[in-house]
Amino acid sequence: MIPELIIALSVGAALFGVGLYGALSQTNLVMIIMGVELILAAALVNLVAFWRYLYPDVPAAQMFVLIVMAVMAVEMAVGFGIAIARFRSRGSVEMEEARELKG
Amino acid sequence: MTPQMIFLMFFGGAAVWFGIVVFRTLSMVRSALALLFSQTAVGVMFLLMQAEFLGVLQIMMMATEMSVMAIFMVMFMMDPGGMGAMDMTHQKRLSLWAGGIGFVAALAVIWLADWGPANLQIPDATEQTAELGRELLGRSMFIFESAALMILTAMVAATMVAIHPSEGRKR
Amino acid sequence: MTVLIVLVALAVGAYLVAVLESWAVHGRLEPARPAISALALLGRESLLARTPDRLFFEAGPVVLLLAGLLAVAVIPLAPGLIVTDLATGALFLNAALAYVLVALIMAGWGPNGAYAMIGGWRFLGQFVAYAMLIVMPITAVAMRAESLSTVDIVTSQSTLWNIAYQPLGFVLFVAAAMGLCWLPPLDLPTARGDLAGGIEAEYTGARLAVLRLARMVLIMALAGATVTFYLGGWLGPWLPAWAWSAIKILFVAGLMVSVGRLVPRVREAQYLEISWKLGIPLALANIFLVGVITLVVPI
Repeated sequence: MIPELIIALSVGAALFGVGLYGALSQTNLVMIIMGVELILAAALVNLVAFWRYLYPDVPAAQMFVLIVMAVMAVEMAVGFGIAIARFRSRGSVEMEEARELKG
Repeated sequence: MTPQMIFLMFFGGAAVWFGIVVFRTLSMVRSALALLFSQTAVGVMFLLMQAEFLGVLQIMMMATEMSVMAIFMVMFMMDPGGMGAMDMTHQKRLSLWAGGIGFVAALAVIWLADWGPANLQIPDATEQTAELGRELLGRSMFIFESAALMILTAMVAATMVAIHPSEGRKR
Repeated sequence: MTVLIVLVALAVGAYLVAVLESWAVHGRLEPARPAISALALLGRESLLARTPDRLFFEAGPVVLLLAGLLAVAVIPLAPGLIVTDLATGALFLNAALAYVLVALIMAGWGPNGAYAMIGGWRFLGQFVAYAMLIVMPITAVAMRAESLSTVDIVTSQSTLWNIAYQPLGFVLFVAAAMGLCWLPPLDLPTARGDLAGGIEAEYTGARLAVLRLARMVLIMALAGATVTFYLGGWLGPWLPAWAWSAIKILFVAGLMVSVGRLVPRVREAQYLEISWKLGIPLALANIFLVGVITLVVPI
């Protein structure tokens, strides 16, 4: 039972909960992306805590963190590209109004 | 209570508090900048856990990403200043339950699992950066290159999607 | 103790850069001008906009000052005279300078006024242009030094300064640095005549004094970064190390402040186009060239 590890992992769990709440409850695409960013930040905190307290001599864990950061940036960029295209064709990016494919 | 524990709790609490402010505030730019400060607190936590390169990288990247997010919020949201006091949420109870269950489940795993012995031989910062570089260009070169290819494809795709249609037809 | 010396040196340097800038703007050398205008600003009435976002309005200049001070903290003025010698110093410098963007967005959005807001968002466009051009030349410099620590970068130039080793990187870095501290010709955020002062328009009194002081500190930080990365830091033949640092930093800051005024203001769209279509391929070519030369030539 390493107390610092438990604290860091709990912070990650809290960020995950807040991010999940945001991603599910918001209607605007940009706010949903912000919720997903919080979930990814929680994953990063967990990764770094595991690296520091359990496997400090394995640099592959830090490399994992780098890949996740790069994926965060790219996911945001593609999400905003889609938001621009949708805004141009519909005039809004509200998810409540995106019912064209709904059965 | 070592100083590291106290600082971890403080900055972790700041990260969670700013994360909650993101969804509670009415002004959109404040929401984006609150997310920025939440990510910066996460970056400071990395620095506290002696992952110096990752901490500095997180702080730098998140400052720029969240500022770009701020301008996208001003472009796409109906009430960027927050003076209209609109409620922009749906399925509130479902998402509160989902967030709560996620948090409690993760906490249960954290407190009940046996994490094994602590391994405290931390390489110092210069060594860490050098080792990370060697790992990136040595053993994990394949992962690195395929991730780079994926990022390039995603960038080209995002740019193509975002180009104004009349400019595309002109060529 | 080191912190105190660095802060005093920074204050003196910022004052001298302000004198140089007023010389470039007004054409006459008036050593007392910054002190008089600072006292006048502190004494003037502090007007507030009608419905500002108080949090951002107050925080903008302060975050700008903090960003500048954090950037100065990793610049070595002499062997041993550095506030903190981080192992990732060059990257930390870049991280601190990224908060200039956050500060200007706050200062633009806070006053709830059209000209300030446009100035703030224009700076974001400028940032997208210069961000890569600041990081890529630093990568090439760190490749030669085989370390990200600013002290190692300076000592790696003891045989040949980086301005002769990587001139392409130097040109790109200085151009991007002038965009970062919004010096003319890249001064869109506070465009005189175009935006009626831009983000400085709504600030009066003591807050304007803090904003101007923060800008001087930022110019000093960028001149210090240029000297550390390309002009050999404290290295030089007869004078003591801190004297060489002082001379080089003041020279670079004076050049940055005065030379740009000869060129008309560069528009956002032009700046973005030049940076991404011309600047980034050149920066990548610079990294490749430096890599080849580092592996082949033994200096």
